Amino acid sequence: MNDACDVAVVGAGPAGLVAAIEAARAGLSVTVVDEFPWPGGRLLGQLYTDPRSHGRWDGRKISRQLAQEAGELGVRILGGATVWAVGRDLSLELSGVPVGTLRPQALLLATGAAERALPVPGWTKPGVVCVGAAQTFTNVHHVAIGRRVLVAGIDPLALSVAMEMHHAGVDVAGVVLPPVSTTSGALASPERAVARLADVADLAPNGLLRAAARLAAGKLSPLAVSALRFDLVRVGGVSIGFRTALVAVEGDGRVESATLRSVAPDGTLVGPERRIEVDAVCISAGLYPLTDLAEIAGCPMVEVEELGGLVPLHGPGLETPLERLFVAGNLTGIEGAKVAIAQGRQAGCSIARSLGRATLVSPEDAARAVSDARTSSPFRFQPRIAAGRAAMAELWQQAIARGDQSA
Amino acid sequence: MSGGYRFPSDEPLARQVRFTFNERELVGLEGEPIAAALLANGVRTIRHDDSTGEPRGVYCGIGHCFECRAQVDGVNGVRTCLTPLREGTRVASVAQWDVAKK
Ligand SMILES: Cc1cc2nc3c(=O)[nH]c(=O)nc-3n(C[C@H](O)[C@H](O)[C@H](O)COP(=O)(O)OP(=O)(O)OC[C@H]3O[C@@H](n4cnc5c(N)ncnc54)[C@H](O)[C@@H]3O)c2cc1C
Ligand code: FES
Repeated sequence: MNDACDVAVVGAGPAGLVAAIEAARAGLSVTVVDEFPWPGGRLLGQLYTDPRSHGRWDGRKISRQLAQEAGELGVRILGGATVWAVGRDLSLELSGVPVGTLRPQALLLATGAAERALPVPGWTKPGVVCVGAAQTFTNVHHVAIGRRVLVAGIDPLALSVAMEMHHAGVDVAGVVLPPVSTTSGALASPERAVARLADVADLAPNGLLRAAARLAAGKLSPLAVSALRFDLVRVGGVSIGFRTALVAVEGDGRVESATLRSVAPDGTLVGPERRIEVDAVCISAGLYPLTDLAEIAGCPMVEVEELGGLVPLHGPGLETPLERLFVAGNLTGIEGAKVAIAQGRQAGCSIARSLGRATLVSPEDAARAVSDARTSSPFRFQPRIAAGRAAMAELWQQAIARGDQSA
Repeated sequence: MSGGYRFPSDEPLARQVRFTFNERELVGLEGEPIAAALLANGVRTIRHDDSTGEPRGVYCGIGHCFECRAQVDGVNGVRTCLTPLREGTRVASVAQWDVAKK
């Protein structure tokens, strides 16, 4: 099979697909590689009502449309193909498909994000899953992860998934704080969880999240949390334990119960343990950019906490210090799908220009569309994302001043 | 056996196919990930940890953690959450030391 192309894109999520469409529109030949058999990335699992447009955000449908549009423009999408190496010449080593190596002129990494693990006694038992697995099984595969499920995580993603499972008919035993740990810091204490929810109160994409966020913004100010006598708040048929955390999961060879404890507003465990019967536990501990390939490619990495951790150093047009290597989407910072789409468009245009092609969208318009998407996004994962983006711009300027940038 | 189950759906379902898990005959939907077909049949434990012997199953559901690996049609270490089910797919839990012995 032909291994040459103008542009290779790793990741058929919203960022990768839209970038491919934009590059193909500029007349370039594009190959998109993704290890999932179906294009769409994390967009596939997203299903909710957008409070801004009042329309339904159906990620599966949008994924299908994007993949179709890409196909019509001649983009080749290789599903079920894992990229395991990136050469200094930007060549890609693939497994899972007959194509062994791809040799593009320009490369876009749009590998998205992964979930942080949050070990708790019993977390390896079959039946304990990440919130992303619950989202994918519920909304994409239409299979319940259990009959009675505890959700550990009071954040926008966990509340959305709890609501989606509840709507699908799963008995959601409750939503509680994730196990208290130093790694999840920002999510673990009641005060922080409430502050995070209050932050998304105006954007929240579904009923449960909206109600919980309003509650957090109004009744449950951090002060109110310390005075909070009652532990469980019932919202939309689901109980949220703002002052309860998961401490252990038990069961003989599979999940049979979960142990909970009360937590003080600052996150300290207090009082006796209590046990509830569940057959599945879904843990949400936050997302981080999936940077393996960017690192293998030799892209300089920087730590920007507000963006979600370690991210590839990149410029305002999503270029990196390596010539013709670009990055887009959650790899550059954890944000919602609308931002990933806008970034994909911007990266596609930057790539086209780097290969001497004209684009319909100007660099300024593409950049503006990204910030517009940021303000209108119904999902905000990192509370201080704008500060993170500004920090990256600053780091890029410093790198240029030092002469690191080759492009 | 407790575990997952399939939600009722108003969309037309994919074709039913037969497959085996550790030689047990099961039915799933063509093209769905093997892990989803297993869970819909109530199967949670996909393999046992090589050193501790503890049961393991799906964790991330999207290809990152490798907890869901199994032997699929004779190939070891296949991530069942990423691999589509076909008619006659043979899935088996194989410990690494079993592979080494063979
Ligand atoms: C579990 C989870 C749930 C989320 N839920 C929501 C939500 O409900 N709403 C929302 O707005 N945002 C959500 N997000 C954020 C989400 O990441 C963005 O909405 C958007 O999907 C990001 O797009 P992307 O193109 O950057 O990456 P993704 O959509 O994550 O796509 C990246 C793709 O790259 C592929 N890939 C990665 N590495 C390789 C490799 N080595 N070889 C081949 N392919 C590879 C992956 O298989 C994946 O399909 C969620 C993120 C996660 C991780
Ligand atoms: S469940 Fe994590 S790779 Fe399959």
